[in-house]
Amino acid sequence: MGLVKKIGKYQLGRTIGEGTFSKVKLAVNGNNGQKVAIKVIDKHMVLENNLKNQVKREIRTMKLLHHPNIVRIHEVIGTKTKIYIVMEYVSGGQLLDKISYGEKLNACEARKLFQQLIDALKYCHNKGVYHRDLKPENLLLDSKGNLKVSDFGLSALQKHNDVLNTRCGSPGYVAPELLLSKGYDGAAADVWSCGVILFELLAGYLPFNDRNLMNLYGKIWKAEYRCPPWFTQNQKKLIAKILEPRPVKRITIPDIVEDEWFQTDYKPVFASEFDQNINLDDVDVAFNSIKENIRESTIPKSSSFINAFQLIAMSQDLDLSGLFEEQDEKKQRTRLGSKHTINETIEKIEAAATDVGLSIEKMNNFKIKMQPKQIMTRCSRSYLSAQVIEVAPTHCVIEISKSTGDLRVYHKFCESLSNLLKQKPDVPSQSQDSVDLCAAERKKQDAGCYEEPKSEDSKPLPGYKSA
Amino acid sequence: MGCCCTKQRVDQKDPAVLASQTYFNLSEIEALYDLFKKLSSSIIDDGVISKEEFQLGLFGSSEKRSLFADRVFELFDSKNNGVIEFGEFVQALSVFHPAAPQTQKADFAFRLYDICQRGFIQRHEVREMILALLNESNLVLSHEIIEVIIDKTFEEADSKGDGRIDPEEWQEFVARNPSLLLRNMTIPYLKDLTTQFHSFKLTSGIEDCTSRSSTSPEKDNILELKDNFNGVSIN
Repeated sequence: MGLVKKIGKYQLGRTIGEGTFSKVKLAVNGNNGQKVAIKVIDKHMVLENNLKNQVKREIRTMKLLHHPNIVRIHEVIGTKTKIYIVMEYVSGGQLLDKISYGEKLNACEARKLFQQLIDALKYCHNKGVYHRDLKPENLLLDSKGNLKVSDFGLSALQKHNDVLNTRCGSPGYVAPELLLSKGYDGAAADVWSCGVILFELLAGYLPFNDRNLMNLYGKIWKAEYRCPPWFTQNQKKLIAKILEPRPVKRITIPDIVEDEWFQTDYKPVFASEFDQNINLDDVDVAFNSIKENIRESTIPKSSSFINAFQLIAMSQDLDLSGLFEEQDEKKQRTRLGSKHTINETIEKIEAAATDVGLSIEKMNNFKIKMQPKQIMTRCSRSYLSAQVIEVAPTHCVIEISKSTGDLRVYHKFCESLSNLLKQKPDVPSQSQDSVDLCAAERKKQDAGCYEEPKSEDSKPLPGYKSA
Repeated sequence: MGCCCTKQRVDQKDPAVLASQTYFNLSEIEALYDLFKKLSSSIIDDGVISKEEFQLGLFGSSEKRSLFADRVFELFDSKNNGVIEFGEFVQALSVFHPAAPQTQKADFAFRLYDICQRGFIQRHEVREMILALLNESNLVLSHEIIEVIIDKTFEEADSKGDGRIDPEEWQEFVARNPSLLLRNMTIPYLKDLTTQFHSFKLTSGIEDCTSRSSTSPEKDNILELKDNFNGVSIN
């Protein structure tokens, strides 16, 4: 896949996380064999969204955080195109995995994790750092079952609307004041998210949940939730103070620490002050190479056209991963031809996504990520992505891939897009091939085998002249 | 000749030699042997992978024809005897390991695309591969557009201007755009072989909480591996 194999002294491995602006990869320190997690951020995305100074400031702050319940940043490395944040690797996985499938923790275990979460928040808020996107996916467990909060301070990498609309499960964790389009208190918002997490740990499900996004907003706005029968009076009391919809009346971190239920078996951890020995020069170096005027430079048009070997490398027959994966677990992938300009093609992709109820997220100029709009209690986190490759001024190849999850949306999208692509009446053969492709794709899935229909016509494809 | 046979026998049987020649460690080679056994016995249990078995593993069907799969098989079959033996299998997969250097992957890709095996890539070979891709994916591109793409490609890659791409030009070309040109030359799974196959014990010293760690000495594993190789036939 042409992956960057080595960054500094780190050997990059598999992807262990993916977000809007970044990916997280497992890596190994070549000097001592230590495992690390490396968050890879695309510089162009940072620049495109005017986030350079904000991201830089937040990474510098994160690097100074030193607390046993917070994922540490070891160093920051910059290349021409990317920023690599080298972080502590937390081997126990996400808290999400522990509370999947409606399971709940016993009260002692839940309280311990909640105490560690509040400890981490107290430490960070005292440093003026807020998380703003607390949810189980950002809460990791180490090999001993202790909590580690990840992605503190990287809220600049979240688009405001993303948190409310497009992230799987995220709307359920956001504070009501985020539903307004104005400023909010980061500390109070984090407290609210902690309350949702505590509820989920004790109950096994989210306090606010509705398939309809507006209904969900309404419940959050009114703090409309019901505690399950097994909640104790002390638990109910604390949760009521946290899930107070008015931020000025919401309980604060210091008051949570004083709470009777919270104090049970509570052992404060020692956290050091800012470490004076930590060097922040690497953050400056990583960011200084971003050129502000990159937006103004015009890439020669011919450079965006595909070359033959890029096209050939798209062949699925050259993808030897099939030797290692069970056939039915393969990532779904298909390609469509488009006889439109690249911009027209992207518009049609967006129209097809809207047609089948997918929300759209442009990852860069030529790649679009789509995922179901409906919010589930535990979303399957499936998504589609479409990559548009310009072959000629009015010819594009669209490569569509799908992660695990429902095949129906995938097929609907392919059908809708094929129909949109064939709207020009002067290219009937294109539409026929596109429709056949989706049908063939479905046939493959239904039949459970990958034998391609035998083509009796072995002649080279006839030349086709566009208008 | 006897000496040559002896050397081949050592190469084929000794996992330690394979580990020293590739980017896999002993436990990973053990995992690859399990995969090799599955592939080599999927049609005929003869200890080698035939082309039909290779296609069955790759596509789930032994009857699908593919120019690209044929080329891959031919490169795996480094002895050119029509079957893939375990040593050949491991050596070839090593190129696809994430740790393999880009130049090695580029060299493999070059030999893959050099269909006529003349030591350079020519226009008609590129055209043949594009047509194979179009056929595989039901894409339609006109003859004129295909020629434009090939023209542009040779304009970029053929720095000497002699109408073909030699290995030196290819390495330069790939170095300018590695992620797109080598996208199929890395198999991420090869990085995690021993965790993917849960039945195997780790011999690596690095602690991995997601897998059980082995307490048996390395020698025992080597002995076990050698026992497993009794079924492999030697030419």
